[in-house]
Amino acid sequence: MANLTPFTYRQGQSILHLLDVRCKFFMICLVSMSMLSAHLFACFFYFLILLFFFKKSGLNFFATMTSIKYFILLLFFIFIARALTVKGDILFSFYGMTITEQGLTEGFVVAFKFFLVMLTGLVFSSTTQPSSVKSAVQWFLKPIPFVLEKRVAVMISLALGFMPIIASQAQKISDAQKARCGDLQSNPVKKIIHLVLPLLRKTFLSADSLVLAMESRCYSDDRIDPAFMSSGKEIYFLAGSVVLSLSLVCL
Amino acid sequence: MPKNIIDIKSICHTFSDGYVGIQNISVSISQGEFIILAGKNGSGKTTFLRHLNGLLLPDSGQIIVNGHDVSKHLIQTRKTVGMVFQDADTQIVGDTVFDEVAFGLENLKVKRQKINEKVSLILKDLNLFHLKNRSPFTLSGGEKRKLAIAGILVMNPELIMFDEPFSNLDHPGTIQVLSTIIDLNRSGHTIIIATHDVETIICEATRIIIMKDGRIKEDGNPLDIINRLESYGVREPCSSKLGLGIKPYG
Repeated sequence: MANLTPFTYRQGQSILHLLDVRCKFFMICLVSMSMLSAHLFACFFYFLILLFFFKKSGLNFFATMTSIKYFILLLFFIFIARALTVKGDILFSFYGMTITEQGLTEGFVVAFKFFLVMLTGLVFSSTTQPSSVKSAVQWFLKPIPFVLEKRVAVMISLALGFMPIIASQAQKISDAQKARCGDLQSNPVKKIIHLVLPLLRKTFLSADSLVLAMESRCYSDDRIDPAFMSSGKEIYFLAGSVVLSLSLVCL
Repeated sequence: MPKNIIDIKSICHTFSDGYVGIQNISVSISQGEFIILAGKNGSGKTTFLRHLNGLLLPDSGQIIVNGHDVSKHLIQTRKTVGMVFQDADTQIVGDTVFDEVAFGLENLKVKRQKINEKVSLILKDLNLFHLKNRSPFTLSGGEKRKLAIAGILVMNPELIMFDEPFSNLDHPGTIQVLSTIIDLNRSGHTIIIATHDVETIICEATRIIIMKDGRIKEDGNPLDIINRLESYGVREPCSSKLGLGIKPYG
């Protein structure tokens, strides 16, 4: 069985689960862009809203934090890098490096904004079926000339669907190598090559099988258009996201 | 007398690297038959099956499905002849069990309401309806195989081909898939099963075709051929070895 990642869709009946995916796409784009110019207070305000939707969607905030610990580590490095590079009033100085008050503040704000954008994406992906994402992409790309929207949509859907399978394959290959003392290999380049080559081979073979399976079920670009699910509350959410975006920018 | 669904006339196929897949195969398949296509690995079983629904086209010879040349009527052929592949994981396209079954009908541009009705019906028939919102990747081996069957069955094919349907399945999974295949045959579907292990299914078969080196070596009633299976690299069922004839699996 494929493992669930924090970004995997989880079944549910919350309002976010039932909302039209196009509306969710619009909201996520609007709020993420507003976040660029939001101040710290506004970010905290948005964080509280996100926590509310976390609970509403049936997601466990602390369990999610545990599973994205490496991302949080990355944010910590961003914070440190900012703290060390932004000029301002010096707080500490050691080995020629200085940490400034402005650096700390700016580092925190930038890391916090990244964190919020990532949480927004996480709420979106765990309440939205990948097939709906595919349908929305197809819908948004339709008016653009010379873009094969149906093909792009299927490619996105397959990529999303196969991520956990590829990750599970990589784990199996890694385990098989460990079983033959592969972890004693100290050269990181050789380690990567030993993992990547069989993984690529397996992935291409799987892709080949998938193409045959799709072809045998009459796949073509000329397919029926996707159906969109609607909760009837999209208009309120759209209006709410516009107000929220304005608040993020103005507060 | 049942009508022929498939007529194959002297087909040959050589791959681009020069490897000969199948040679000079001529055979007819009638409605309602339950055929085992047996042979050791590399004997040409899968290559042969892939010709029957146009995934591969022969270099020479002709395949007629319901009176139409396969090479000229690919969509019609694939609606008539469904294929369930060996590895269930690599043929999953949908994010949920429901979407996976709906995939074929969406390709055929069937109306959305009709799709919903047909998919629900098939899922209920195969006892998968309670899983309709689950991710296919989280199902058990037997359930995945049944899902693959549902994805084909919803397109209403007359003939269903299975490539090694019992490989990598545990005993309950094997029984689950076996009973589904038997039910399909009893409800009028023609069945072809490619396998190198005939013990599971031979009791239900009405005909067995043995392949070796890309050619058909034997074609006939299982009872007449069962004692010669091992000369083609196919294991003879235990019951037959013990002189008990053909016994049901399980």
